Parts: sequence; structure tokens; C-alpha cells
Amino acid sequence: MSRVHASFEAFRIALAALRANKARGVLTTLGIIIGIVAVVTTMTAANGLANNFRESVSVLGTDVLYVSRTPWIMQGRFFQFRNRPNLELKDSEKLARQLGSGAIVNPTDDTRRPVKYLSEVIENATVIGTTDKHMLVSSAVPEYGRFLTAYDVRLKRPVCVLGTTMREQLFGDVDPINKKIKVGRAEFRVIGVMEKQGSAGFFGGPDFDSQIFIPVTNFVKEFGGRNRSFAFAVKAPPGADIGDFEYEVVGEMRKIRRLTPDEDDNFAINKMDSLLDAFNNVMGVVLMIGMAVTGISLFVGGVGVMNIMFVSVTERTHEIGIRKAIGAKRRAILQQFLLESSAICLAGGAIGVALSFGVAAAINKLVLPASVSPPIVFIALTVSVLVGVISGFIPAWRASRLNPIDALHYE
Amino acid sequence: MTLDLRSVEKVYDMNSVGVHALRGVSFGIAQNEYVAIMGPSGSGKSTLMNIIGCLDVPTAGTYLLDGADVGALGEDQLAEIRNEKIGFVFQTFNLLPRSDVFHNVELPLIYAGMRPAMRRKRAEEAIARVGLADRMNHRPNELSGGQRQRVAIARALVNNPSILLADEPTGNLDSKTGAEIIEVFDDLHSEGNTIILVTHEDDIASHAHREIRLFDGLIASDTIQSEAA
Repeated sequence: MSRVHASFEAFRIALAALRANKARGVLTTLGIIIGIVAVVTTMTAANGLANNFRESVSVLGTDVLYVSRTPWIMQGRFFQFRNRPNLELKDSEKLARQLGSGAIVNPTDDTRRPVKYLSEVIENATVIGTTDKHMLVSSAVPEYGRFLTAYDVRLKRPVCVLGTTMREQLFGDVDPINKKIKVGRAEFRVIGVMEKQGSAGFFGGPDFDSQIFIPVTNFVKEFGGRNRSFAFAVKAPPGADIGDFEYEVVGEMRKIRRLTPDEDDNFAINKMDSLLDAFNNVMGVVLMIGMAVTGISLFVGGVGVMNIMFVSVTERTHEIGIRKAIGAKRRAILQQFLLESSAICLAGGAIGVALSFGVAAAINKLVLPASVSPPIVFIALTVSVLVGVISGFIPAWRASRLNPIDALHYE
Repeated sequence: MTLDLRSVEKVYDMNSVGVHALRGVSFGIAQNEYVAIMGPSGSGKSTLMNIIGCLDVPTAGTYLLDGADVGALGEDQLAEIRNEKIGFVFQTFNLLPRSDVFHNVELPLIYAGMRPAMRRKRAEEAIARVGLADRMNHRPNELSGGQRQRVAIARALVNNPSILLADEPTGNLDSKTGAEIIEVFDDLHSEGNTIILVTHEDDIASHAHREIRLFDGLIASDTIQSEAA
């Protein structure tokens, strides 16, 4: 009971002290404000990045395996993989035959070529050679026109489908359907435009919207197929267990590659998970750097608050003496000053959070979708109170230990 | 005995030289006594007041307050005793400048852990008792010196202490206001309170029924006065 009332009194004193020293309080909390803005912005940006990434990667689909010569994430083991034989186009046909009906195998490869329509040129556009099955192994759908068909592929038709960003850049408001464009030196007719898919380009990943799709057969014809290793997107039959299916794919690939039982795989099975793992690793580092910056500014802010609390204790030595004389215990005094420093920091934290909403809005507008979420606000405010308690402790402890007689006679 | 000092000594350590502020002081004060403690500066008056008020503990000897030995207590226990048994009135009032009259008077009850409704009732009674019911929400700087000292008296009274301990309560007041404040003490005494006045003014001391004179850390005289004027 008595603790509750004493706490309330302490809270009341803290508020009164803040009111009495508004300007000083705000200046003191500058470090806290900066720290909290850093916390909230880092976390918000990280969240935004993660969401953005997940969204764009989800295009790839979780029930699809990607067979390729080397893993997506090589982690510096490049030399270990460079002598592996290429995956050839005919291997994909073998794989499809051996996996049987239900499973879908789509061979693709990409190259960088300039793409040109009239005077508009995109240097280094990503040109993807693929088949009609592309639509089955990804969530990509044409927005208008049509995608490649099996006939386009078999007949090596010079047709292409554009990503939405590419269409914008090349054609602006002009209807691209049936227009002729140059890809490298070859001419292609536009037959469709893909729906917007979002971009993982922020991380050096694929920007699905700036790609151009052509039949893989034509791709080989125009850009050569000899030193190319294709990637096979393999989709499991409906209802199949993805783990079992992976095992099956590995088995069939080993047959195609004619590996003896004691030889290691000379191909790699990639999954969306491995991308996510890599992303999470990068994200972890980004977060750690963000937290380090945050930690430093909060530390500086905390030292500022500690300093001002020492001033506050000294200024109010006489008051502490009065309170002690009429019966305040050490804990009551300790509580009073801890609450004051916490309140200062909480105020700073609240200002910081408010500013962060502005920063997040700017990020949202300029860089990527990001918004401050309630848990982040909660964490930020908790952290600021924590800083208050920690930085206020030594001054508050000193106040609580003052000798009542000395304090009473202090002028 | 409300208060019982037995050969109380106090030695201050000043630059490793022991200064004897009290050299063995013994006396008792019964309930509803009205005592003046007098003596020139340096006589040990303030030290004695600090010990009686439980702001300090004796170096040697014992001090019993309501039968309990105070000398063995820690700082928090002393705070509790000050809160429950001592009502301080200081020369410089010692009110919280940023708090209004009500809050100043209520403060000891807060530290005693009393519930708000009860606190309000008790504080209002104490403020009314010193005639400041209409100044409840004024701050100390909006009051005259005499009014401030009344607030201090109300604060001292609010938790029904065993002793009302006043240190030069009229020292910062003009003689007319001082006389009014002394009148308040007289009234409180006649209502049954135990009062100890520390003063160096004879006409203030003359209101008390007993006069203890200190000199050089010892009791020089302890006289019961005939019925005060």
C-alpha cells in the first residue's frame, strides 16, 4: 500500500520537475531522441526490406526446385564448382521424361543484351530464354497479350514478352503489341506484357519487371548454346511431398549425369529457402550495424541524462533534506529521481517515435514500402525508459544516501 | 517518559579531531510537557535537537523515544520514526516551494502510506487547525512568513506526533507575528501536545513550563518555571 502511494508521489514530483525545466529537458533528451529515431528507423527499414524481399521472392513459389550447375549462394566456393559440366537443354528433356507426368521442368538461361525500340535503348537488359512452362513454375501472368506457347518454342519463333518496367521504358504510352524490337542483333515481335511482380533488385536479386522473355530455342540460336549451362525450374506434381520430390530429382539428375555412387553431386538443387537464408544473413548484419549506431547514440544520450540528473539532485538537495526530515525513506527518494530520469527519457523517446513516423514516411516515398508498426513503437518506448532508469540510477542513489542534516542545511 | 536521554554524547570528527558537541546529557520529558531548550551558539543546542528529532544518533549514551532505543536504528528506521513520532517546525519553514499548502501538509502522510481519502481529511483538519483553510491551494511564495510557519506547524501536526520539535520557530518572523506563532504553540500545548522549543530568546522561552539551559555540551540548568505568563 505505502509503496503505491509513494510511487504516485514520486511520479507527481517527476512531472512537476519536468514542467519546471522544459527547455533543459528537451536539450538533454536530444541524444535519446536521435537514438530512438535510429532504433525505429533501423527496425522499420529492416522490416520494410524483409517484407519487400519476401514478396518478390514469393514469385518463385515454394514447391519449385531450381536445378543448376552451381548453388545460388556460393559463399566463396567458386573454384570448387567451376569444373562441373554444364546443364544442357537436352538434359531438361531427359529429366522431364524420367520424372514422369505431373512434374514440370522448365529450362531457362539469361544473358545481358541491349534492347532497342526505335530510338529507345536499354543497355544490359536481362534477356531470358524460357519456355511456355514458365507460367506453370512461377506466379507470373501476362497483363495483356499472351505468353510464349509450346509452338513458339518448337518453331523458334522470334517473339518476346516484356516485363512491365521494360515496356514503360521502351514504349511509354505506345501499345507495344506486334511492335518489332531489337534484342542484340536479332529482331523480335512483342506478343505480351507481364503483370507487375515487384523487385528483389534492391539486394542484387532479379528485378522481374525489367526482364524480357524469348523462346529458349531462339535464345540458343541467337546467343549460342555451346558454353551455356541452363537452370531447370522443377515443379513437383500436385500433392507431392517436396522433400521426397527433391530426393527423386537428385536421383534422376545423377542418372543423367552418369554419376557413380561414390561420386558427389556435380549439380546443385536451389530452393527459395536458401535465398531467404542468405537474405536473413545480410539482414542480420544490417541490423547489427543499425543497433550499434543506435547503441552509441543512446549511450551518449544516457550520459547526458545522467549529467542533468546530477544537476537536478544538487539543485534539490535542500528539498531532499526536507523530505527526509518528514519521513521519506531512501527508497522513496531513489524512486523519485529514477522516475524523473525515466520520464525525461520517455518524453525524448516519444518525440523520437513521432519524428520516426516522418522518417518512415520519407523512406516509404523514396526507397521502399515501410511503416512504423506498434511493436516497434513499444520497443522504442521501453528502451527509452530503460535508458532513463540506467542513467538515472547513480544520481538517484546518491540522492537517496544524502545525510538528512547536511541536506537540510544545504543552500 | 515520552523521551528519555541518558548520558548522551555526540562527537563530530572534524579533520580527524574529535569535537565534543554533547558531553553527557541526561534528562527526560514526559507527555504534555512544554520545554524550552536554550543556550548560546556552540552550546550543543542544534546537536541535541538533531538527536531528539532522530535526524542524528548519539555517539554514546542512550536515547529512548516512547520507550524504544533510537540509537541502534538504521537510516530508514529513523525516517519512519521521524515520520510517525516527530513533528518538525524549522526557523526557515522548509516548505516545498513548488507545492501548494495542501500538498506540503499532506506529504508526511504520503510517506506514511496513508490512503488518499484519509490523507485529505487529516490534512484539511490540520490546515484548518492553524487557520489557513482558505489558503489550501496557495503556494508558499504567495503566503506571508507567519502563514508559512503555520503551514509548517500544520505539517508537523498532521500525523499526531509524540513530540512537536520547533527550532527557533520565530527566528525569521517580526515580533508581532512571532507572538502569534507562539500563541499557536501555547494552544497546542493546552490541547495535550508535547512541545520542545529550541530558542535563544528569553521571552519565547518564558512560554514554556520548563527550561533546559545548555552550555558547552552539558546541561547548565534544568528548571521548572512557575505557571507561564
